[in-house]
Amino acid sequence: MLNYDFKWSILWSDPYGGWILEGVATTVKLGILCCIFAMLLGIIIGTFRITQFKPLRIFAEAYTEFFRDIPLLVQLFFWYFAVPSLLPEGMRTWVYQEIPDFEFWIVVVGLSLYSSSRVAEQIRAGINSISPDQFNAALSTGFSHYQAYRYVIIPLAVRLVLPPLTTEILTIFKNTALAMTVGVLETTFMSQQVEAYTFHGLEATTAACVIYMIITLIVVGVMGWIEKLLAVPGLIIRKGADS
Amino acid sequence: MIEIINVSKWFGEHKVLDNVNETINKGQVVVICGPSGSGKSTLLKSLNGLEPFQEGDIRVDGISLKDPKTNFIMLRQKMGMVFQRFELYPHLKVLENITIAPIKVLNQSKSKAGQKAMELLERVGIPEQAEKYPGNLSGGQQQRVAIARALAMEPDIMLFDEPTSALDPEMIKEVLDVMVDLAKSGMTMAVVTHEMGFAKEVADEIIFMDEGRIVERGTDKSFFENPESERAKEFLRKILI
Ligand SMILES: Nc1ncnc2c1ncn2[C@@H]1O[C@H](COP(=O)(O)OP(=O)(O)O)[C@@H](O)[C@H]1O
Ligand SMILES: [Mg+2]
Repeated sequence: MLNYDFKWSILWSDPYGGWILEGVATTVKLGILCCIFAMLLGIIIGTFRITQFKPLRIFAEAYTEFFRDIPLLVQLFFWYFAVPSLLPEGMRTWVYQEIPDFEFWIVVVGLSLYSSSRVAEQIRAGINSISPDQFNAALSTGFSHYQAYRYVIIPLAVRLVLPPLTTEILTIFKNTALAMTVGVLETTFMSQQVEAYTFHGLEATTAACVIYMIITLIVVGVMGWIEKLLAVPGLIIRKGADS
Repeated sequence: MIEIINVSKWFGEHKVLDNVNETINKGQVVVICGPSGSGKSTLLKSLNGLEPFQEGDIRVDGISLKDPKTNFIMLRQKMGMVFQRFELYPHLKVLENITIAPIKVLNQSKSKAGQKAMELLERVGIPEQAEKYPGNLSGGQQQRVAIARALAMEPDIMLFDEPTSALDPEMIKEVLDVMVDLAKSGMTMAVVTHEMGFAKEVADEIIFMDEGRIVERGTDKSFFENPESERAKEFLRKILI
């Protein structure tokens, strides 16, 4: 028999319950910020990848490869340890000690850049599945390239890539757990801290698992709702017919 | 109105337009036919700058497409285009498909553009479809919306690239009727089509293309009754059965 002494109540006893809630709040804040930046950057970079203008295309390709090919953990360490070490001594100390929530914002930068390269790939695939004559039709009415993307191509591409984007958003929320490695007090960090103080690691880790699952279910629900909201008659059928 | 002067175009090694010459005058309807892959779409798209070409020149109202100062956005506002697969914007309602360019490009007010769009929908015979999405329309209705969308910019020239070849037979007529009306109203038109009934009714000139070249040109009578080239004879035999 197990001789582990379950004590679920520590999860809502003071101060541990508060720690966990604080962790959840940080995870959610981090995830939402990274999703917003990853989407915006991803749409821009993904669009750059298929423009006629070569320098933009090359820049976007390099960007995607760079951020996609290096493990996220290494990228976080790079932003957190390597980049500040390039600064002069005094400034480095200032950065680590005086910028409020420095670790938090470093993860926002690192995770957003990494995730944006993956979103860019999805957007590029979405745009490529739109027939070139759709773009030509928009240009033929007098739209500039920018307007054709803004009013026609991107709204279509976003709809086409919503399902894979849902997966990317889930990945972003799960990847926020890596923030603990640079000292962000998010869900995983806090559950580890509860274990360190109480030796009730099983309860603490279970709580973390349940929290991530709830976040995932909420994201899936919200994305399903957005998909319904943006649903367009015939779009998916058309896509099939074109390929 | 449109002068095509010694135009040649290559895709890589492949020459898809071979020394093409043609003039389309104001109010004229020119029908372009020829086998698949002969360069018809490429020629049409080069007229409004959607396809660049390496040699020769095209002048629209005297403006050279080879002139680096030419503003293609201004040029395209004067040239409407209709595609084989309609290419409506599936995420916008029919009315919005028609009004978006006048609103965004010409800065028209929503109400003015909407009023004009309803008139155009009346003209193409489907005002009751204004609030639907393109995906809920039949092919023939979608193509009529596409024509209305192009007309909303009040173009001087309309380009049609096989506008009826993606349609079920029973819908071809409803689109051709709109095009015939347009032709009779004096619109300058370049129409890639194999609908020889349409050509006979409104074409001022028919050009037959093969392998990037204009092989034969004529009025409807001379072209249909005694085509000169073997290729044209063979082509007509195939499409007239
Ligand atoms: N984007 C492209 N890249 C390479 N080849 C092309 C491209 N578009 C068309 N072609 C080729 O150019 C030729 C003419 O095409 P097109 O103008 O579409 O002919 P048509 O409209 O008469 O059927 C064809 O051989 C086609 O394969
Ligand atoms: Mg064609």
